[in-house]
Amino acid sequence: MFNLKKALVRASAIVGSIGLLATTAACGLGGDAANAAKNGTADSDTVNIGVIYPQTGQYAEYGRLFKQGFDLAVEKVNADGGVKGKKLGLKYFDTQSDAKQDAAVAPKLVADQSIIAVVGDYASPASAAASPIFQQAGLVHYGFNNSAPTFTDTGDHVWTPQIGQDVYQKANADIVAKSAKKISVVYIENDWGKQAYQYFKEEAAKNGTEIVYESSYLPDSTDLSPILIPARDAKPDAVVDIGYGPDGALVINTLRDKLGYTGPYFGGQETKEFLQLAGKNAEGTIITGSFSATGTQDSKAQQFVKDFNAKYGNNPGNFEVTAYQAIIDLAYVANKTEPTREGIQKGLQTVTDIPLYQGKGGTFKFNQTNRRADNIEPILLIVKDGQFVQYND
Amino acid sequence: MIDTLFAGLIHGSVYALVAVGMSLIFGVTNVANFAQGSLVAVGMMVAWWLGTSLGWGIVPTILAVIVVTGLLGLIMNVAVISPLEGRKPIAALLATIGVGQVLDNGLQIIFGPQTRPFPKLLPTYNLQAFGIRFGTSDVVMVIFAIVSMLGLWAFLKFGKSGQAIRATSQDPDAARQMGIPVKSIRNLSFVIGAVLAGISGIFVGLFNANINPMNGGTIGMTAFVAATIGGLGSIPGAVVGGLVLGVVEALGISWLGDGAHDLITFGALLIILIVRPQGLLGKNTDVRTEPLTGTFLGGGRPISLPWWGNLALAVLALATPFFFSDYLSGVGTQIAIYAIAAVGLTLISGSAGQTILGMAGPFAVGAYTSAILTTRLDWPFLLALLAAGVVAAIAASILTFPVWKLSGHYVAIATIGVGSVMVAIIRLAEPLTKGSLGIQGIPFANVFGQVLYTQQMMYLLDLVVLILALVVVSRIRASHLGRVFEAVGSDQEASEAIAIRTGAYKALAYAIAAFFAGLAGSLLAHQYTYIDPTIFNSNMSLLILTIIVMGGMNSPLGAVLGSIILIGGPELLRFVPDARILAYGVLLVLIILFRPQGLFARKA
Repeated sequence: MFNLKKALVRASAIVGSIGLLATTAACGLGGDAANAAKNGTADSDTVNIGVIYPQTGQYAEYGRLFKQGFDLAVEKVNADGGVKGKKLGLKYFDTQSDAKQDAAVAPKLVADQSIIAVVGDYASPASAAASPIFQQAGLVHYGFNNSAPTFTDTGDHVWTPQIGQDVYQKANADIVAKSAKKISVVYIENDWGKQAYQYFKEEAAKNGTEIVYESSYLPDSTDLSPILIPARDAKPDAVVDIGYGPDGALVINTLRDKLGYTGPYFGGQETKEFLQLAGKNAEGTIITGSFSATGTQDSKAQQFVKDFNAKYGNNPGNFEVTAYQAIIDLAYVANKTEPTREGIQKGLQTVTDIPLYQGKGGTFKFNQTNRRADNIEPILLIVKDGQFVQYND
Repeated sequence: MIDTLFAGLIHGSVYALVAVGMSLIFGVTNVANFAQGSLVAVGMMVAWWLGTSLGWGIVPTILAVIVVTGLLGLIMNVAVISPLEGRKPIAALLATIGVGQVLDNGLQIIFGPQTRPFPKLLPTYNLQAFGIRFGTSDVVMVIFAIVSMLGLWAFLKFGKSGQAIRATSQDPDAARQMGIPVKSIRNLSFVIGAVLAGISGIFVGLFNANINPMNGGTIGMTAFVAATIGGLGSIPGAVVGGLVLGVVEALGISWLGDGAHDLITFGALLIILIVRPQGLLGKNTDVRTEPLTGTFLGGGRPISLPWWGNLALAVLALATPFFFSDYLSGVGTQIAIYAIAAVGLTLISGSAGQTILGMAGPFAVGAYTSAILTTRLDWPFLLALLAAGVVAAIAASILTFPVWKLSGHYVAIATIGVGSVMVAIIRLAEPLTKGSLGIQGIPFANVFGQVLYTQQMMYLLDLVVLILALVVVSRIRASHLGRVFEAVGSDQEASEAIAIRTGAYKALAYAIAAFFAGLAGSLLAHQYTYIDPTIFNSNMSLLILTIIVMGGMNSPLGAVLGSIILIGGPELLRFVPDARILAYGVLLVLIILFRPQGLFARKA
């Protein structure tokens, strides 16, 4: 039986579909950037820096430290007159430092024409998932915490002021070599730890340091005795850990409290978290870093430490200062050029006196071939009386 | 050697303690409680707060933890688990995942995200043996584990309520007719399980020394492995399983290094399941029960659209990339990719009735295959995409080959192991995969000379693959093969009786699902341009399964809807940034409670 209603619905579905297909041909797949070029950019008296960072999830502690640095930096920039008369703002996006969420949220930042540059994320896999999207849109991705040597390979809009692990680990292996001939090394099993250990091993070989035991460990392992027992039994002059804060504390606590190891230890992370977790076991550990709140001789860095203390009641560490500096850097180059996406990119390419808070202070410029900062030197930090202080050997 | 062994035994007794609670709940309610680890974390964090901020001692702390976790257990059963009674246990399992997420993120919001030292409620390193120092805390923990095991055993054997619990677990209807208040008995078992978890939390905190509110997930997963090794539902088995796992891990890690930790843990799980499926102390009869199989709600039928409806939907979907902004298209790519992985799963978990908890494995194999073929051998994208599917299907088939002789929930558990082992192998196969370093610089997809570099172009490609996947899966469902899958899922015994080799058909359905997961992996790799093993974690496996549960287990279109909600959800919830993931957990629980057959299926 012929059903008129049904036929009509069918027909309209088909006709509608064809119509839709025809109209879509007029639009393109070029994306927002292509359309924005037609429509012109949004104009207002505020420009923003987009932040992709772990506000929640397993890396939330780092997100919290970053945010302290960002917020203070923006206050400072605006107190000093903003960027070319415009107010600087921050737009935060929580990603949990999870690659899936980074990839999903990145286009949202691209589409927001008030965002002139992006900083973040904490972990390299998450950052790397977002990079191609920013690169493609001509938006600077300033991965201030991404020390992975391949991070900037994605394209010419991907930059990092972070000291490369090659430099850090060379300094690390050199200080270890001064007091130890035979060492046991453990390192965290992720992209960062693996790469860092490769550099460490190369330099150790050059120094003639013998590695008598080595093992990686997974970030969420809770009992490291199975690898630390052989590490102890290899009778090393020192034990070296290449990792983060909580795991660094687990390594030293297991060695000292559980396995009765009393020799020197190199490892840990310059965070309150590490100092709290390791307690008196942390005493005397030496790590490489880029900043010491009490040791810095740079006047603007000393001012930063003062401001930070006034706002948060404690000294800033490496995570806070790199976050702070990221915003200051971008605002500085925007002031030298113009507060737009193009301006930031041009600024990073041409400005040669970007303010530097880490290392010895002063200024720095970018190496234009690998878009990393060449002239930032690592410093050594030692734990004395429950605080990290600069160590001068 | 002896010191490693001893360290393993101490760590193993931590596993044992948590596993006892897990096994109790499973034994008496047939619910695999994935929130158990989170309840452990609740006990741990409450004890941390009382011990650190208020300076309470061990005894008042234990009492307070008992009250808090006991109440939580009761609320959890009354509000979430017991309304799902009578439905397939997979509903309860997924609800517990949602509850776990709410608890984990709630703890993080309440107590802050830092890792912190646990207060020394008992002396921790005051004793020494075999070159290892340990504490009164460890001794008390071992005693507590043994006492709670014996106490529970005696309670279940001789206690009146204990006998009622056992009767309820064997046959709730018969128990009700005998005058047992089934509801209160179920509440009682959940309270006992939750209190056990809470007290374990104190000892886990003392042992780990450094604690984090997000520790619950790992604690729960390891305890689940320990309980399975010992024999799910057997309380002495949980203790034995915990100790065995602790020792095997210690010896294996001492030999291979901690980088192989996952391989050892989940490899041990797989070997036990293959050699002795019911676990070390489990009863052989357990294997015949199949609580995790079958469709979400027996008889839930997918809503099917007429052909013109499907056509209109397809055209509408294909038109979206032309209108969507970068952001919407970006979210769209993730939705489409996860939907592709989930569509195939409707065949094995929906039709053939076999829950699969390890889809991250084939997903990862596909991503790596495609990445390696295009970066090292310069294969064209489309060929690499196809190869990704094929290699994922082959790898998944080979690794799961011994699993199909198992039955029921043991297959589901084994697939957790298979998924984790696949990713662990990728991490260790460094010359080929670059291990933890990850592969960078994977080229964007290139289709017939056109490089897909905008979000819209990638989204369009993902949609085309998704529609192809939907067509293929729907055709299979309508074919003779699809009917055989349905038969296997509806009644395995009856299928065997008419000479259907159920194991072989499940393996085939799984291979097809793995093929699509491989395609999804390839698309993801060429969008991110970077992959490393941490992307393919157990959360990814759970997410893919949850997607089809949400949409309706055997509904291919439902998988798309599920993906829109579960991948789009966290994005939509950005307006409550602090509680985003918590709200997501609540949403998951609510949907399971109010539409248990799935969104895109109707009740039979």
